Amino acid sequence: MNYNNNKQTAIVECKQLTKVYKGLLAGRSRAVCALKNISLSVNKGQIVGLIGPNGAGKSTLLNLMAGLIFSTEGCVTVCGHPARSIKARSGLGYMPEHPTFLGRYSARAVLRYHGALLGLSRKAISLQTDKSIQRLQLQEFIDRPCSDFSQGMKQRLALAVALMNNPQLLLFDEPSNGLDPVGIIQLRDLLKQLRDSGTAIVISSHRLGELEKLTSDYIFLYRGQIVSFGDRIASGQAGRLRVQLVSDGSYIAEKLLSPSRTIGVSDKELEIAVDNVDEVPDIVSNLVKGGARIRSVNLQTEDIEDIFLRLYNERN
Amino acid sequence: MRAYELIKETFCRKIYILIVHLSWLTLYGIFYWLFPPSASEFSEFGRFIFIWGGFLLPLALSAGIFGDDISSGRICVLVTKPFWPGELYIYRLLGLSLQAAVHFILAWCVIFILHALMRKGSMDNLGLWLFASWLLFNTCAALSTSLSVVVGRAYNALLLLVVIVTGFFVVSQLMFSLKQQAETGVLFSFIRFACPPFKLLYKFACGEYGKYSLTVGRFSLAKSVACVVHSLILTVVYSIVGIVLLSRRQFSCEGD
Repeated sequence: MNYNNNKQTAIVECKQLTKVYKGLLAGRSRAVCALKNISLSVNKGQIVGLIGPNGAGKSTLLNLMAGLIFSTEGCVTVCGHPARSIKARSGLGYMPEHPTFLGRYSARAVLRYHGALLGLSRKAISLQTDKSIQRLQLQEFIDRPCSDFSQGMKQRLALAVALMNNPQLLLFDEPSNGLDPVGIIQLRDLLKQLRDSGTAIVISSHRLGELEKLTSDYIFLYRGQIVSFGDRIASGQAGRLRVQLVSDGSYIAEKLLSPSRTIGVSDKELEIAVDNVDEVPDIVSNLVKGGARIRSVNLQTEDIEDIFLRLYNERN
Repeated sequence: MRAYELIKETFCRKIYILIVHLSWLTLYGIFYWLFPPSASEFSEFGRFIFIWGGFLLPLALSAGIFGDDISSGRICVLVTKPFWPGELYIYRLLGLSLQAAVHFILAWCVIFILHALMRKGSMDNLGLWLFASWLLFNTCAALSTSLSVVVGRAYNALLLLVVIVTGFFVVSQLMFSLKQQAETGVLFSFIRFACPPFKLLYKFACGEYGKYSLTVGRFSLAKSVACVVHSLILTVVYSIVGIVLLSRRQFSCEGD
């Protein structure tokens, strides 16, 4: 994942992407800028988490990649082709947040229907259906009508539909929605397998804990702009060092730490920002050399939820 | 495979479709049973089928053909598939047309059975009325399907019905008040040739272009063929509008 130039095989590339929604009869004043000047690329075999608060532009970005909407400025290419083109679509698998199917169709009929839309032969459809049944545990409900399906069953079926053409790019909107814990674990394993086989995957999700188990590459969107790529921070390189002291904390902080490093100071405790885990021994050693009497040291690395909250709070 | 699945889909979309067909066929039967037409007054019965089968049936069947997909979000998955969106439109419309053809064949069978059982009434010119109704069905279905791409809800049948009925009312008032003015000729020509061909097909089915229309009378064959071709051209034009709208439309699955 990159902002711009990319030496690796980019599956999806967005260049200077801007999307403005205008009401049919609305004037310029009522236009809403959903995305502003976004440039990024997602490589082969990479999972990217799309995170951000409601209304940040995640779904808009996903819809642009899927070719469902037009960009106001800039362009999106999928496998080197414009996102809305047939060639781009042949390498694309898309799973919406709330998948719906024709109620009268069984899961098998749905798979056959989508296989036919993809232009697969009867034999290929049959093979793909068997494969989907096996890897997504569809045996129990493959011949039941979709109108009887729970949300979790629909999610599994939607995933099977998205995988029918062995896509190079998979776009997911809240894929674990409605799945039970076993389903979530199976989904995670499947996504990892797909990643390992070279599929690029973009996931828009609010379930940060789930995302964290899949990837360390994030795009944090806020009001239509990329705020920060979380990969560096989320990979466990950053955090806060909580040092409990016997001696006076404020004196030590004033004497030994730069203000930018100091997060919190009290009589008996110091909170120090750490950019890299490797810095910790030096920091502790400097504190001791400077006369600090340390009772305990605790390094807290930021998880994705902390990063999300920090980035969000910084902007509010 | 794709064509087959999309055409089949229009038949199997909802149980509602079967109910509509059965209700309509029952209606024809009841009307024929209650008012068995003689050969001379067959146009009354023909007009009934023409309006119910040719105009109201496509509104009922094609209303949600894209509207349902759009409002449920299914369209987002359909349009990410690697094929030209026009195919989606064409095959669905073909599915509807095929459905209507089956419907009108069944209508003929129902009336034939009733006619045989009752031993009264007439089936004179029924085939031509059903054919005219099928042509009108195709044109109205294309119009309604195209509207279904824009409106995005299943209410478009009602909307189209209101628009057409209001349009007819306004036009008839206009024609009545402006009959004497020469400039209105262009307007009337436009209404006659660009709007759904109710009047032309009605005249065609009534045999006004020759007793049985397709027989060679005084230019009757040419007029009848022109009438059929005109309705087919309108179907194609309405469909092209729908395909362009479908290709240019943006779809969004609600997120966040």
